[in-house]
Amino acid sequence: MQTALNASIEEQQPQTRRKRRLPISFMLGGLAILGAVIYLVIANTQATSVYYMTVPELRSCANCTTQAVRVAGVVQAGSVVNDDAHQLVRFTIADGGQSLQVAYSGIVPDIFRPGITVVVEGLYAGRGPFQAQTLLAKCPSKFQSATPGK
Amino acid sequence: MYFSTLGRISLILATGFAVLAIALSIAGALRQHPALVASAKRSVLAVTCFLLLAAASLIISFLIHDFGVSYVAQHSSLSMPWYFTASAFNGGQEGSLLFWALMLSIFSAIFIFTSKRAPTALVPYVMATLMAIEIFFLIMLTSVSNPFARLPVPPANGVGLNPLLMDTGMLVHPPMLLMGYMSFSIPFAFAVAAMITGQLGSEWLRAIRRWTLAAWTIQTTGLLLGAWWAYHVLGWGGYWGWDPVENAALLPWLTATAFLHSTMVQERRGMLKVWNLSLVILSFALSIFGTFEVRSGIISSVHSFAYSAVGGFFLAFLAIIIVFSIALFIFRLPRLRSEQEFDSPISREGSFLLNNFLLLGVTFATLWGTLFPLLSRAFTRQMQTVGPPFYKQVNGPILLVLLLAMGVGPLLAWRRTSTRALWRNLTLPALAAALCAAVLPLLGVRDIWANVAFAVCAFTAGAILYEVWRGVRVRHKHGEAYPIALFMLINRYRQRYGGYIVHLGLALLAVGVIGSQFFQTQKDAILKPGQSISLSGYQFIYFGNIDEKYPDVEIITSQLQIWHNGQLQQYIYPARQFYPNFGNQPASQISITTYNLIDFYVFLANWNGLSQATIRVFVNPLVTFVWIGGLLMLFGGLICWWPERRKRRKQTIPEESTILNEKDVPTMMPVLEWGARATARVAPILHDVQQPARQGRVAPRGRPGNISKEASS
Repeated sequence: MQTALNASIEEQQPQTRRKRRLPISFMLGGLAILGAVIYLVIANTQATSVYYMTVPELRSCANCTTQAVRVAGVVQAGSVVNDDAHQLVRFTIADGGQSLQVAYSGIVPDIFRPGITVVVEGLYAGRGPFQAQTLLAKCPSKFQSATPGK
Repeated sequence: MYFSTLGRISLILATGFAVLAIALSIAGALRQHPALVASAKRSVLAVTCFLLLAAASLIISFLIHDFGVSYVAQHSSLSMPWYFTASAFNGGQEGSLLFWALMLSIFSAIFIFTSKRAPTALVPYVMATLMAIEIFFLIMLTSVSNPFARLPVPPANGVGLNPLLMDTGMLVHPPMLLMGYMSFSIPFAFAVAAMITGQLGSEWLRAIRRWTLAAWTIQTTGLLLGAWWAYHVLGWGGYWGWDPVENAALLPWLTATAFLHSTMVQERRGMLKVWNLSLVILSFALSIFGTFEVRSGIISSVHSFAYSAVGGFFLAFLAIIIVFSIALFIFRLPRLRSEQEFDSPISREGSFLLNNFLLLGVTFATLWGTLFPLLSRAFTRQMQTVGPPFYKQVNGPILLVLLLAMGVGPLLAWRRTSTRALWRNLTLPALAAALCAAVLPLLGVRDIWANVAFAVCAFTAGAILYEVWRGVRVRHKHGEAYPIALFMLINRYRQRYGGYIVHLGLALLAVGVIGSQFFQTQKDAILKPGQSISLSGYQFIYFGNIDEKYPDVEIITSQLQIWHNGQLQQYIYPARQFYPNFGNQPASQISITTYNLIDFYVFLANWNGLSQATIRVFVNPLVTFVWIGGLLMLFGGLICWWPERRKRRKQTIPEESTILNEKDVPTMMPVLEWGARATARVAPILHDVQQPARQGRVAPRGRPGNISKEASS
């Protein structure tokens, strides 16, 4: 209640003296909120940000075994192998002249098929397939005709 | 002659009349020549007519399947039903820009028909600003993004529309969002006019409040429809994914919400002028940013968009808006001084300020997350992205505090509030929260944050309902039956109670979000006939697939039964549809059944012949509240917006009382208590209704300068 008291003391001062436009309590409150928001943003950016790499960049990635990365690429024709028993799907994506094998377990998006661009997120050990935890297909929007690459 | 030629001519003529309107209105304003302003108004109406003609030409081109028009060929086909064909008009980039321009011209026409109510000096500049925005869109429509461009050889059939988008939700959702983006131009135009003329009192704010409310309500509708569409069509079990495109639509909504609150502080107390102007400009800049972002391809999104030259135009336009607004701002800064000072943080204006800080915090965090890939690439040369966890962890806590503030804020008086009165008003809501926090663990809510969040919802809903109940009780004592008392209360103080309804809707929506965020479960299974999945006490037995083939679509439907406690509840049929024209891209028909507020979201993920299916079931508790809360918010927004009947206002308010418009009365109650003179002018019942809410309030010292007019005179 300190803040309220401060304000009333201020008001008892003569009217002729110009008061501060924003009392100290407001400034402190505002700064506290600003600080909290900035803290939340910075802390969570560090905690949740994921590298977004191209396939060639991933090849030279040093710490991708421990830190999740996102990679985008076009699903190659004839590369999709479904293993229904384990709900596993293997495919190859290509980008920038290089290709990458991907293994993903789970349900693939509706529009997943060779020729579309997908974004996979997961760990990469440097060799063997990229272990994708999520598989996102670029969702066609009304702003674009359905043929990809157009 | 083709209809597309007619459309193109209309667009060029519209551009001409828009330029004319700007010239006439500025000349009229400078020379104070009403006849010139009247001509400018007619020119604006001409722009509207020509844009209507252009839009009609495009729709007719679609309906007669004129595939010679490249845009028609790319966005429709002969097999599409007529309503999708007609709605494909605003489906592509060129058409969506035409729709934007059309809506802006229609809103400009509405502004002109209602311009008698707006401050006269502002009208020409508002028109000029609106037409300047219109010209930007018309330039694009006649150059880089021409919807009427013709192909040398018309194809026999068009490409058609993506099947994911052939959904009734899609008929209304994109136009709503575009309209929402567009509608922020009118408050912006008023802000520019106010800055140019220097008439920065509260008149222009009053003039734009209803426009901003309309923009807010339209944008809310667009966001809700988008969420509804994602939930019912996309099959990932959620309704909001923090995708850059969704964020872009949320950003102007957040700043407009902030503005709708802080504008009340300026109207009552003549403070926060710079802040309010900034919010109006920011909302418009963000709505242009949203329109731009989805078309520029600068931000990687799961939605992909055509990259085009339009992006550069938008960026240039955005830069012009920002530079122009800042220049005007600096020019007018001397006139933007506060008329009064803040007294105590525990006051209505303090709570509005808190609300604004929090909303801008969410805006900043969301914008940061959206732009983070660009920022990180610029500073570290390595692109990084943040996903839904970032937004949940940053925006979640901020929104929770906001929700809490929403419960306390309306109980505070202007200037300062006695803590004793505040505690008395807060006892009941606090009890509701405590009860909620105590009972929920017994019902299985063990997550501490979920419990806290639910308790906050209970607190806020309790505070709002208690406040409404007190109003109703007072009217009831005056002899009105409870339902009539409630109706009269809302009808009479639409601003205030409309606001409460929006708040209540948001609290319900929050309950739905918390429920589905914390307690969503999911299970996948590959089933053969007779096998089943069990989830949350419900059993889903699979019976096989049905395969139907039609000329333009093939539908695979799985048949399942839902059992609960040994009883058959119902049959469900999740399905996939295939459109051969789209490389057999499937679209889903998701089965959503709700028992006891729990959504069972059944999705046919894959199948093999007629006797095997991969079924994914999401259990989404409380999602129903998201839709109920959303509808309530729309309803509340409409109530706030709904015009007063003019006649009644004249009868109730004596003519000499310029400051006491009836709609301003509820939130001005503390003002009324300053003097019996003011109170006596308003129907006595007003006083009675409001009195209980305010009793125990410390009488403020100092001069009673709440009414800006009295204070400044």
